[in-house]
Amino acid sequence: MEKEKIEDLLIDYIDGKLTEADRLLVEKELLINEETRKLYDQLKEVMQSIEKSTTLQPSAKLKNDFNLFLTSELKTVKETKTIFFQPSFYRVAAALAFLIIGGGIFFLIRNQYANQQAELEAMRKEVATTKLTLMAMLDNQQSASQRVLGATVAYKMEHTDDEIITALVKAMNEDENSNVRLAALDALRKFYHQKNVRTTLIASMATQKDPIVQIALIRLLAEMKEKEIVNELKHITTDDESLPAVKDEAYVALNQLV
Amino acid sequence: MIKSIDLMTDEAIMEAVKDGDLQQMSLLFDRYHKRIFNFLARMTMDRDVAEDLTQNVFVRLIKYRTSYRHGLRFQSWIYQVSRNVFSDHYQANKNKSSNFIDVDKVSDVVADRNEALEQDEREELLHRSLAMLDDEQREVLILTRFQQLKHEEVAAIMETTVANIKVKVHRAIAKLREHYFELEKI
Repeated sequence: MEKEKIEDLLIDYIDGKLTEADRLLVEKELLINEETRKLYDQLKEVMQSIEKSTTLQPSAKLKNDFNLFLTSELKTVKETKTIFFQPSFYRVAAALAFLIIGGGIFFLIRNQYANQQAELEAMRKEVATTKLTLMAMLDNQQSASQRVLGATVAYKMEHTDDEIITALVKAMNEDENSNVRLAALDALRKFYHQKNVRTTLIASMATQKDPIVQIALIRLLAEMKEKEIVNELKHITTDDESLPAVKDEAYVALNQLV
Repeated sequence: MIKSIDLMTDEAIMEAVKDGDLQQMSLLFDRYHKRIFNFLARMTMDRDVAEDLTQNVFVRLIKYRTSYRHGLRFQSWIYQVSRNVFSDHYQANKNKSSNFIDVDKVSDVVADRNEALEQDEREELLHRSLAMLDDEQREVLILTRFQQLKHEEVAAIMETTVANIKVKVHRAIAKLREHYFELEKI
């Protein structure tokens, strides 16, 4: 019997999956053929080693990192959904009402002004600290999940600057990890109203090679009615290297824009 | 006592996540993170990288929750996402080193060394042999034999037929046996 054939039968024999006829055939072969017996012993040892192999335990860091990410995502979703109902909105409204009522009292105004300055200074410091943290996260070459967190922190910021935008664009165009590239694109999407962000995203259409990011980029720019991308979309639909899913997305976008 | 939440299917939980109840993802994390970590640890033969990639799998599930298709078996979906995450990692690293798997790190993957020494040595030999298989053979063995998924489930994950999976498993076991006894001689 051919070695490959007997090997197939032996594996099923060890697994107990043979028909009665095949089982008898294998047992007869085992009795008369020493080579088959050796093969059987070896296959059995390897298959039993797999069965006995231990389940690996991840470290506690995995769960901690996941919880951190989930908390951050929950906060983002909550902020998006309840932006007009946040307590801070009521606090600002109450502060304004207070200012109007007490508008005639110079002391209170001056006091309020001093408080606002202190709050602004505290906010400036907080923004600077957050910025340092997120830049360090985005630059963490050892951990893709840290870079995703960095992009998520950027997404949550109210304001951004050129340095952060440059880091996000670099992550979107060059990061080796798709999740990081997409998280960076998500963050950039939030700052789309800034002209430099818009220009960069349009330019990225021509150079982006990751199909997942390409699809997300096409959807975003089509949604924003960016007619400048029409030529690039046409190029994608005729490019042999474009994946079918990306081409489909380009066709959908062309229908929306043309 | 069994809580009602424990009786919820993976698919029902994922539908809730898709509808915006993100907190439910922690249930799916509890149910699946060890399995996915074990899959990725044996694919990469590197525990640290496997933890990072496992985190990426769950990040991807949350980010793309709306792309979860109604009726799709969750287990198939999470393994498909895990394969994609591994593939991205492989593509990103294949040019950095001629040998993607660091054979010296294989012993790190062998689980906690609190059993008999001979069993440790057998397990290290097994993992060294596993590391010598190509990615597809290693993957099919990990899913069917280490993770004990049914051939039907693996066929759905790898988008192929059950018959094809059976052939691949048999070839992978045969190749693993060859490597195992070659290494044993050394």
